[in-house]
Amino acid sequence: MPSWFMRTAVACAALFIAALVFIALAPYERDMGLVQKIFYFHTPSAWMFLTAGVVCGVASARYLANPSPRFDRVAWASAELLVLFGAIALVTGPLWARKTWGVWWQWDVRLTSSLLGWMIGVAYLLVRRYAGPGSDKLAAGLALFGIANVPFIYISVNYWRTIHPPTSVVPKLPLSFGVPFYLSVTAFTLLFVMLLRLRVHLEEQRARMDSLYLSLDE
Amino acid sequence: MPAPSLGVSVALFVMMSTGSPVRDASGAAFPAAHQTLPQPSVMRVPGQLRLQQTPSAQKPPDGFEPISEIPPEDRMPAAPMVIAAYAFVMLAFFAYLLSLARRLGAVKQEISRLESELKRSGRT
Repeated sequence: MPSWFMRTAVACAALFIAALVFIALAPYERDMGLVQKIFYFHTPSAWMFLTAGVVCGVASARYLANPSPRFDRVAWASAELLVLFGAIALVTGPLWARKTWGVWWQWDVRLTSSLLGWMIGVAYLLVRRYAGPGSDKLAAGLALFGIANVPFIYISVNYWRTIHPPTSVVPKLPLSFGVPFYLSVTAFTLLFVMLLRLRVHLEEQRARMDSLYLSLDE
Repeated sequence: MPAPSLGVSVALFVMMSTGSPVRDASGAAFPAAHQTLPQPSVMRVPGQLRLQQTPSAQKPPDGFEPISEIPPEDRMPAAPMVIAAYAFVMLAFFAYLLSLARRLGAVKQEISRLESELKRSGRT
């Protein structure tokens, strides 16, 4: 592991522990009760899922315009994080919905577009793994569809009839809900940055390994 | 009551099957199907539920509201969901970190093997 990793991991763990303490101390929501506490991990993971989609899309667009391996590494790393955080959002959401809405899943616009975004991420990884030479540019093109879907996922709840809470919930959070929530968002953001850097580092090491193989073959 | 004309019948059919407003000869819109037909029962969305039960009562809140206590019967069924959600998050992070560490370890091991091989062959 690189030298910066341990320091960041400790800071991240401390933030998560603090977030969990504040989540435990936070009051129950009037209508949903205990199950609303899923919100403190569900929403930050959904935000990181969207952030990963944006990072992957921007890095892919830059890679298509200027094929530098640096952009490709960032795009690949963020696609993996998109799948990770997307899976968390798509699993914790139904656990919350089962108690609050009475169903695990609803084919409404927010849930369906999120699932589509996650599937684009999975498709990106499958292309990178199995499509052979040229898969980097093919996957970069796919990531552009992913980034186009991100604003649609975010604003969909405000324009279509849906049972998912609108985006106005978070800005109006009372302090007792806001403190654990923003602490959790900070922990998730730090974790996202740490994992992104670590994943990019892995790709750098793979590139180094490839150059060593070439040196041996010469 | 007189029977509706063919035009009105078609308009009503289109309106009820598509939900889009249909206009008569004077340009006035018929009410949309979802405004005239009985609404299906909604799932348990707190705000909407309260609105349906008491149409003239208070406006539903558009944000979260704290409460100091909830009945015990409401607490227990939620606990497995909350525990499952938090456990899944922790497991997912742990599994991904483990996967990254394993991949990184394998690559670094291969790099050191290749470097020593290059050193042996004198091609550093």
